[in-house]
Amino acid sequence: MWKYILKRLLLLIFTLFLVITVTFFLMQIMPGTPFNNPKLTPEALAQLKTTYGLDLPLWQQYLNYLIGAAHGDFGTSFQYQNQPVSMLIGQRLPVSAQLGAQALVVGVIAGLFMGAASARNKNNKIDGTLGVISTLGISIPSFILGIVLVYVFGFKWPLFPVSGWGDSFSQTILPTIALAVSPAAVTTRFVRSEMIESLGSDYVQLAKAKGLSAKEIVNQHAYRNSMIPVLTLIGPMAAGLLTGSTLIEQIFSIPGIGQQFVLSIPSKDFPVIMGTTIVYSAMLMVMILITDILTAIIDPRVRLQ
Amino acid sequence: METWKKVAIGAAAVVVVGGGTRAAGLWGGSSAGNSKNLSFQLPTPIQTLDISKNTDTYSGTIIGNSGANLMRVDSKGKAQLELAKSVKHSKDGLTYTVVLKDGLKWSDGSKLTAKDFVYTWQRIVNPKTASQYAYLASGVKNADKIAAGKAAVDTLGVTAKGDTITFELERPMPQFEYLLTFANFMPQKESYVNKEGKKYATTSKTSLYSGPYKVEGWNGTNNSFKLIKNDNYWDAKNVKTKQIDIQVVQKPETAVQLYKQGKIDRVSIANTPELYKANKNNKDVVKAPEATTSFIEYNQTGKNKFLANAKIREALNLATNRKELTDQVTAGISTPATGLAPEDLAKTASGKDLAKTVAPGYKFDATAAKAAFQEGLKELGETQATITITSDADSPAAKSTVDYLQGSWEKALPGLKVNQKLVPFSQRLKDSQTQNFDVVVTLWGGDYPEGSTFYDLFKDGASYNNGQFKNAAYNAAVKKAETTDALNDAARDTDYKNAEAALFKDNNINPLYFRSGYSLQNPNVTGIILNTTGLNQDWKSAVKK
Repeated sequence: MWKYILKRLLLLIFTLFLVITVTFFLMQIMPGTPFNNPKLTPEALAQLKTTYGLDLPLWQQYLNYLIGAAHGDFGTSFQYQNQPVSMLIGQRLPVSAQLGAQALVVGVIAGLFMGAASARNKNNKIDGTLGVISTLGISIPSFILGIVLVYVFGFKWPLFPVSGWGDSFSQTILPTIALAVSPAAVTTRFVRSEMIESLGSDYVQLAKAKGLSAKEIVNQHAYRNSMIPVLTLIGPMAAGLLTGSTLIEQIFSIPGIGQQFVLSIPSKDFPVIMGTTIVYSAMLMVMILITDILTAIIDPRVRLQ
Repeated sequence: METWKKVAIGAAAVVVVGGGTRAAGLWGGSSAGNSKNLSFQLPTPIQTLDISKNTDTYSGTIIGNSGANLMRVDSKGKAQLELAKSVKHSKDGLTYTVVLKDGLKWSDGSKLTAKDFVYTWQRIVNPKTASQYAYLASGVKNADKIAAGKAAVDTLGVTAKGDTITFELERPMPQFEYLLTFANFMPQKESYVNKEGKKYATTSKTSLYSGPYKVEGWNGTNNSFKLIKNDNYWDAKNVKTKQIDIQVVQKPETAVQLYKQGKIDRVSIANTPELYKANKNNKDVVKAPEATTSFIEYNQTGKNKFLANAKIREALNLATNRKELTDQVTAGISTPATGLAPEDLAKTASGKDLAKTVAPGYKFDATAAKAAFQEGLKELGETQATITITSDADSPAAKSTVDYLQGSWEKALPGLKVNQKLVPFSQRLKDSQTQNFDVVVTLWGGDYPEGSTFYDLFKDGASYNNGQFKNAAYNAAVKKAETTDALNDAARDTDYKNAEAALFKDNNINPLYFRSGYSLQNPNVTGIILNTTGLNQDWKSAVKK
């Protein structure tokens, strides 16, 4: 097991190296410079490039970046004067993480309830309604839902603040709901199918034969077994939430890492684009690794090698 | 049924908790409407508080309101003494002598001295600082050489002795007094900048303030913070507002809605034509002028032979219906252009708007356009012409401008084929600067309220002349303005008028519209000074009734 984890971690570092390399050279294809100011004279532009080392041969810039990154120095932002990338991301990551965690908790819990309700009422009205809701939840992009929520709960019935972060907890409610709907829908469908399978299984038949009530059967037996596979879903869903919150952060003016990423691309803020890409890929890979380990722990039939 | 009960109970709980905490005031955020505090919104997060390095408009608003300079622009657009007791210049206009007021202090209570001004000017031109606005100091002795790394920083023509600062210029600069109001030239304290090192100005705690307000609660990335009255400001008794709440709201529609709920005191409605149309009849609408011109540059290098022909350019200029374009593209937010220099940029010596005075008479005349086009084609021995318009793909206004031009030009000038080339902003910039275009739509905003911020664009040796035309009459007029007439305001107005006339005569450019904006502003708020260049909103005297 430990050997396996070590192997995966080494693979992670190698993948990160590949991501850095590909991103670095892809960025060079983007036109222009980080100094997108029509007022800069060619001489001034040349001077700026020299100061920031952008006039060096590409391979040297690449090497400098790699050496810096290996030492934990991801450079300084062009757009946010003087700010080290590590500090920019360091301050914004917790914001995105809180938003993602809230959405995940709300989404998974809602999904567990709806999935169970759906399975127990298989093929009747409740199941049908929940089926429609979860299909909508999967197919409506979170940013559309975000705008609808802003309109309904921000303007029609102004119950919640629609912009900002950190002043009060209420600011987090609408963006959390907007992001939670997709994981809720996925969990609902997953739990429903798992539960239907469990309800038809031998041990549930046995429980029924023992004379347990329907409620007891679901709570004691069926639920537990159908929750296991949901655990394995959480990893990819968490990674999806972090990357998927980009537009939600724009809509609700949340100073998270996604907002940063979006703003850094048109301004060609190389160090920030690089830093954010690295953080995103690292997070995704760690999530996948955790999921794999969890799966192995939960289901002894899976062997890690 | 059980499920439905649960849902109902859950919903009820949300309403009760939500309503309860809201009533208990745990939701924060709504300081406007019930106090004297002002509440303003920014459409993007601020990027820095670094006086020398900032390039962003909104960061500039915060820097400008938390800092002071030797002079400050008043409500009439004139530079008035601020930290300076007196500003005098020599007869030849090459030496400015500034004496500071007594007892000036930084926000931390330490003494603000003449050295802090010398340092800020040295810092902006120092190539190590890598400020994109170093060019603004061009004209001050050795500024260009230092910026190019060819002279030592301490050779700059800005020196201090006691409470007197002396500026030595390489040439007379009619705009120099306005540079003394600029946020990028506000004082900075060397010992403080060195002490904070890399952290300097990256948060509100690592910045020092000389202006009406101090910034509080900005950690470098957050979207809401405050401006608090600076009691050490020299004119603190005239700053009546104790606190300004700033929040970033990125969606313009959300910002307008927050305004209507009384949560912010001022909001722009000019972001999209739709937003403007929906709100233009609101009683709180105020105009927010901008000194920005949208104009067409023609590539006159011969790369496209049609555009090297003066008659064809004349035809295109005559075929441009600026009124209709402005209405269609901006829903009437902007004004049809009458020349290169925009309205609300500067005043003439007699107090009139410069743009109105110098307007050479651009007009729309489809018949004359057609005739000129035929004449031009004949000169070239062709029967039809093809040109390509380049513009920004990332701006909706740019796209609709190109659509309009393509349609109306092709209709007015039979035999003309117009293609579109929409590229990202940075690519367009590169294409413009390397003459990789036929016709390009350019936006240019003024830096200071004086004609040269526009007329320097195409002067001899300037790198901004993307069309690379040569116009002797224009060059002569601009040269005269910056040499013999540099200290004679009335004569300079005439020079600028001649320069505009020369551009018009040769059809070197095609001015489209003067960009402008509209905002909603709380009628109880007074005293905001709006500038078209420099500090766009000055909140020093802003108060809420």
